[in-house]
Amino acid sequence: MKFKVHRDQFVQGVQHVAKSISQRTTIPILTGMKLEASAEGVTLTGSDSDISIEYFIPKEDEEHQYVEVFEEGSIVLQAKYFTEIVKKLPKETVEISVQDQFATTVMSGSAVFNLNGLDPEEYPRLPQVEEDKTFQIPKDLLKNLIRQTVFATSNAETRPILTGVHWQLNDEQLTCSATDSHRLAMRKAKINTNSSGLSFSNVVIPGKSLSELSKVLNDSDELVDVVVSENQILFKADHFLFFSRLLEGNYPATENMIPTEAKTSVILQSKRFLSAIERSMLLSEDNKNNVVNLKTIGNGMLEITSVTPEVGKATEEVTSEEMSGEDLRISFNGKNLIDALKVVDSEEVKIDFTGAMSPFVLKPTDHDHSLHLFSPVRTY
Amino acid sequence: MTWAELAEKQATVVQMLKNSILKERLAHAYLFEGKQGTKTDLMAFQLAKAFLCQKRGDDAEPCHTCEHCRRIDSGNHPDLHLIQAEGASIKVDQIRHLLKEFSYQGLESTRKVYIVEEADTMTNSAANSLLKFLEEPGGESLAILQTTKRHAILPTIQSRVQVLSFAPLPPESVIETLLEKGYSEVQARIASQIAADVEEAESLCSSDWIAQARSKVIQLVHEISKRPQRALLTVHEHWLPFFSERSSLQLGMDMLMLWYRDLLRVQIGQENQVVYTDCMDDLKNQALSQSQPTIRHKLTAIFDAKRRLDANSSPQLVMDQLLLKLQEG
Amino acid sequence: MDRQRKGRIIFHVDMNSFYASVEAAHDPSLRGKPLAIAGSIEERRGIVVTASYEARAQGVNPPMPLWEAKKSCPDLVVRKPDFPKYRQASENMFQLLYEYTPLVEPVSIDEGYMDVTHPVDDRPPLEIAKHIQDRLLKELALPSSIGVAPNKFLAKMASDMKKPLGITVLRKRSVPDVLWPLDVIEMHGVGEKTAEKLKRQGITTIGELAKSDPIQLKSSFGVAGVRMHERAYGEDHRQVDPDAISEFKSIGNSTTLPRDTKNEAVVRKVLMNLSDSVSRRMRRKEVYGGNIQLTIRYKDRKTITRSRKLDHPISSSQDIYEEVWALFQQYWDEKPIRLLGVTAQDIVEKGHAHQQLDLFQYADTLKREKLSNTVDHIRNKFGEGALLKGAQMSEDSSDLLRDEEKRGTSLEKDFLREGFLNEKQDNED
Repeated sequence: MKFKVHRDQFVQGVQHVAKSISQRTTIPILTGMKLEASAEGVTLTGSDSDISIEYFIPKEDEEHQYVEVFEEGSIVLQAKYFTEIVKKLPKETVEISVQDQFATTVMSGSAVFNLNGLDPEEYPRLPQVEEDKTFQIPKDLLKNLIRQTVFATSNAETRPILTGVHWQLNDEQLTCSATDSHRLAMRKAKINTNSSGLSFSNVVIPGKSLSELSKVLNDSDELVDVVVSENQILFKADHFLFFSRLLEGNYPATENMIPTEAKTSVILQSKRFLSAIERSMLLSEDNKNNVVNLKTIGNGMLEITSVTPEVGKATEEVTSEEMSGEDLRISFNGKNLIDALKVVDSEEVKIDFTGAMSPFVLKPTDHDHSLHLFSPVRTY
Repeated sequence: MTWAELAEKQATVVQMLKNSILKERLAHAYLFEGKQGTKTDLMAFQLAKAFLCQKRGDDAEPCHTCEHCRRIDSGNHPDLHLIQAEGASIKVDQIRHLLKEFSYQGLESTRKVYIVEEADTMTNSAANSLLKFLEEPGGESLAILQTTKRHAILPTIQSRVQVLSFAPLPPESVIETLLEKGYSEVQARIASQIAADVEEAESLCSSDWIAQARSKVIQLVHEISKRPQRALLTVHEHWLPFFSERSSLQLGMDMLMLWYRDLLRVQIGQENQVVYTDCMDDLKNQALSQSQPTIRHKLTAIFDAKRRLDANSSPQLVMDQLLLKLQEG
Repeated sequence: MDRQRKGRIIFHVDMNSFYASVEAAHDPSLRGKPLAIAGSIEERRGIVVTASYEARAQGVNPPMPLWEAKKSCPDLVVRKPDFPKYRQASENMFQLLYEYTPLVEPVSIDEGYMDVTHPVDDRPPLEIAKHIQDRLLKELALPSSIGVAPNKFLAKMASDMKKPLGITVLRKRSVPDVLWPLDVIEMHGVGEKTAEKLKRQGITTIGELAKSDPIQLKSSFGVAGVRMHERAYGEDHRQVDPDAISEFKSIGNSTTLPRDTKNEAVVRKVLMNLSDSVSRRMRRKEVYGGNIQLTIRYKDRKTITRSRKLDHPISSSQDIYEEVWALFQQYWDEKPIRLLGVTAQDIVEKGHAHQQLDLFQYADTLKREKLSNTVDHIRNKFGEGALLKGAQMSEDSSDLLRDEEKRGTSLEKDFLREGFLNEKQDNED
């Protein structure tokens, strides 16, 4: 293998891919970064086995030539050293060549580094993109889907499947849901599929992978290709591919948990409601007893209280925009409500209660593509 | 390693596994248990290859050359997870890592293999964490636990895996090989009894260790019967300093046990089976002065002492107490 | 040495300028320096809470304002209190005391009583006291004073007599010589108000208190007056109660097994019985525990405690058992067990317990609570043996825990009972 590449382009790619490489892995080859030179350009790959990132530097685009390939081939280089070296190269081009036994030379101007490479045959095989199982989604929508669901995943090891977000595609509608068994966040989106009738369910993506993905996507409305395979999901954007392993097992049914009727309904201004809950919880210690009590007090008013033993009680009143149905007194985890209200993209929300001991639903009033479900807190 | 090579010594296990592979009826978890040297570890890797290789033959033989087989050999297969003791034991964090891997699909396919070597070294909490997975295995995964000490594996784990017991190697075949290689018969006989396979037996003979160990045993049993008041001193001055490692002490105890078994053999007229062939006079003398129940009692005492050594009792204490029992009757 | 075992032997262990000592233990550079712990470092507002003996020697007498302390001791090193650190040190200290007897009654963060009438080893009491004091100093770098006496009151008085690092024995027969000359205010339990009231009645010394009329005292001080009179004679019948301070912070029971065991079936049964008894004490007090702790003491007397924070407080026997059994499975290292204990901690009162219902299975939760109350009801009506789970049906001392009459209400009551049996032999002099 031998190629010459534009340094800035190369550094950008290397840094991108390095994000997915961890030195703490049980599979030795994964401490390395894979470089592959082909007629089309240079591909860089990194993986911590949970997520993998592939970055492609094309030979040329309309304006520039980036890569000159003299000999096709591939090599795996120790990421720890390689990324450090690449950052410090002096000249505008870098030449990388592999000799016998994976000995590799990195050259830029007068700087020459000799590295011992690893056999690229040892590197994991990532799933191939099958164009017919692809659908497209704009980057900003994808980031929203992630932001509005990942927070509701569980971080407990006891039920690993709940650490992921469940994706389902049916009739060009993508449904993403996440729950830690105390609250549920659901977000739907209209999707264009390449092949009509593409559908899947029980695709459960680790929440951690989605958060990583969100970090590497820039804010734009460019389309991302999404490919679902048996064991991995793949996101294809600009010059890079992002892979994540899927979670094993069946995601529990969540559709039937959502009540369809309401005994008490309230419409509230999202921001005002959010800050009322936040203020009521000022006294409570973090992650300890986040119980908030909510009570209808007539005239469309709600009273929100939170009691912290030995510290005191905080009371807040909120005026609803609209209220109907029975009087109500309910307790819930205030932190969960805050989490949801922070990601709601609507001025107003509607909450449907079906009794003090039943789950309740929070929806934006502007649209019906997202929904949050909460379990009440029982006091005994 | 191929199935054929492994079948030379473990025909039953190989047959079983090959059948299960061909009928696609592999259990989700196995416990390979067998003495040191029965190659349970090689069998585990062979099974892993057969499970992951995509060019497996009709005879269940993995191709040994494809990207899967080669990376299993080099330790780089991303969907093969090997857990080995860190220090003296397998820690709960290692099992936690394994459980996390269990909850994910494989990196390259939906198939994953987990090999836990020396599963008996799992701490109690590690074993209990693993138990949870064994109760609810997910997807197309295969777990292989390997041990030389089946008794040290939690019964709850044993009941959730398929246990395959590896055959101990017949001593005759070991003796023959050792004689062919030019070792003396007395050494070969003992080595074949205490080592699990030819290689281990040979390494015992070649280092001259076995010759020295044999003389320590003969010295000790001699003093126990002739000069009991000196025996304790011998244990402290010669026996313990020589068998200074716990593992070597275990071998010493095995050799001691062989002596008492020889006594029984002499008593029931199976003199051709005797291991300490060069000490026939001593054996006969001692055999005359002890009843069969007494000798059996002593064998049990040695066996107990071995167990206590395993349970980390102080070697000195174990030997002192054993000596008292061997001097009785 | 006096080994008379007719009466009880009580220690009062009092840590010397505890907060300051803990700070010095963490930061050796503070040792030997005048050190004060003050609520606020600002001189204007700070109050010295604790001072090291070096500081006291230079006139720092807590509680006093920081500016005043600095005036009399210009080199004073001032630290802000670090309560988590002190709590940890306190825990370590009590853990050490528990190694000598389970009958330890913490009184506050830095003092406690121990009943060493039947210590876990047979050393003479003074030797044990010395051993404890040495270990506190060596292992935790904390100085202490220990009072040794036949009851709590005298032990407390004794520990005050020599500080720091004193061991003082106070026998009942020396009360007239030692206590009677003292001012009543020196008597533990007598505050300034009481002392003034006593003085108005012409009682200034403990001796005068002893000689005054108990009926008179009762009419002016109530039962407390009678008690004061008793104390003046060195009498105090209060037991060392390990649960006393933690009345509402923890509820526990433990039992020594009839013989050391490695048998899981035996363990399961004992834990079931312990859970059952803890559960019913909790429900009688109408409280719930947010944390369940398992205690295992091994044959070699090594004792471990392991606990788990729950996601919601519990009180039912089934819930408690499930938690301790899980803890047991996780932490038992397969060595022979001598004693098992179950303790519910982070106690909350009824009406203050919260459970976030599970979206997947919350119909069940409400049902189980009901069942548990029904079982109690049946037992109260038909007796303790009316409803037992299969594994609970056998003869064993932990079964006594099920019996309302015989069941100890304090941690390790059966320990005490076993102790009494041994005592008889000792007493035949």
